[in-house]
Amino acid sequence: MIRVVTLDPFDDKQLAKFNRTLYTAFGVGSEHSGSAEVPAGMSEPLDAEKLLDEVKGIRAYKDDKVLLLTSRKLKDRELPSGKAPTTGFARYGKDRAVLTIAPFKDLETGYKAIARHALHQLGTLWELHHCLDPRCSMYPPWTPSFNQGDHIFCTFCREKSEQKIRLAKS
Amino acid sequence: MPEGSAALQLNVGDRVVYPNQGVCRVAAIDVKEVAGQKLTFVTMRREEDGAVVMVPEGKIISIGVRKVASAADVEEIYAFLRSDSDKADLDWKQRARTNLDRMTQGGILGLAEVVKGLQVLSELRPLPTKERELYDNARHLLVSEVAAALGTAEANAEDSIDIVLFPPGRERPKRTAAEFARPGGEDEDLDLDSDLMGLEGGELDLPSDEEPPAEPEEEAAEEGAEEEGSEEASEDAPKKRGRPPKAKPAEEGEPAAPKKRGRPPKPKPEVTAESAEPAAPKKRGRPPKAKPPEGAEPAEPAAPKKRGRPPKAKPPEGE
Repeated sequence: MIRVVTLDPFDDKQLAKFNRTLYTAFGVGSEHSGSAEVPAGMSEPLDAEKLLDEVKGIRAYKDDKVLLLTSRKLKDRELPSGKAPTTGFARYGKDRAVLTIAPFKDLETGYKAIARHALHQLGTLWELHHCLDPRCSMYPPWTPSFNQGDHIFCTFCREKSEQKIRLAKS
Repeated sequence: MPEGSAALQLNVGDRVVYPNQGVCRVAAIDVKEVAGQKLTFVTMRREEDGAVVMVPEGKIISIGVRKVASAADVEEIYAFLRSDSDKADLDWKQRARTNLDRMTQGGILGLAEVVKGLQVLSELRPLPTKERELYDNARHLLVSEVAAALGTAEANAEDSIDIVLFPPGRERPKRTAAEFARPGGEDEDLDLDSDLMGLEGGELDLPSDEEPPAEPEEEAAEEGAEEEGSEEASEDAPKKRGRPPKAKPAEEGEPAAPKKRGRPPKPKPEVTAESAEPAAPKKRGRPPKAKPPEGAEPAEPAAPKKRGRPPKAKPPEGE
């Protein structure tokens, strides 16, 4: 089950549409599971890793995947090889991811790009690596063409995610 | 407990890399008796899923178990990935062999070479399924080792690799087959594209109905050239690869029907007046018994057959 938890107010209709997209992409249920508070002392831009560790009040089962949705900006990560533009963050094979809709005003404005980023972060939770196919949502998200693509997976990534989901269910 | 592996100086708690399996932690080093021999076994537990493997100490080096790369090694990996390295071999057999060696014996640099090579190759053409799987495995092993070396999350390790491979704000370049050509020219014949072009000349032996129709203008021009062409011209012309074209039969009235493959159809029976009536559908099963001719006396119904052994012949009486 995918649980979308909002850290800021969002329109319910847009969230319902967003959940339908996630359901279509992964074939598992997706629902809006309430909202949570950003931990005190964290200011914009938010540190994505810290946010995932410190956010409280999320109820989920062990095999659920939680996607935190915020309209606030996330801080770019400093990595040994350079600075990574960060629109979302997920730990490989774990159960929580965070995604920002910035720089878009709301979900509807940049729906296609946001859905693609969401698929990317949830794919990371299901142990998918970055893909070579520019049409796939697992393509590195900082590339210029990423936001123009559709929210789909390539055949390889789709089959791998289905396999991981089957394993998680069994 | 023994002090550790003599060759690698392994101790309990060390992190090692088992080729094609990933980062493991040494769980124990024990002496066990197997078939009367006392052997030292190194027990390793894979960090990813906790799978356990026991390896005799003497086999550690030959298997290719090694310690996790250092941060300095990872810096070298970034430099390698950033550089314009050798292109992958276009011969798939050679490439598969090289990549297999790199995966098992190449260390972290071998993993990076596989990832980089296949990534560059994918800029020329999409990878086939097996190589896509190999790319994914190599990437997974590389990411987990970089994460272990730097003590960071795997997502960060992967992003740090991909920032080098896919620099932000830049699209991947389109490659051409010429970029993959070796300077010595030895591999030119191994180029898949040119091979395929060579095969188009007739080696594929496609059925005639699958062959693309030749353009009439080109044919006419070729025929004209053949008529005019002297022996010198034919010698000067570049040799075509593949099987020479079959000699065309002399054209007669109708063009020959395209050859059909497979078993030829059965000849149809000639239609005559008698056979004009539609034949009754064939009945399946045993044919019915022939009826006795009318007028003949009906035979007595035969006595029902007795089953079992026939009765013994009675001895003649009166002897």
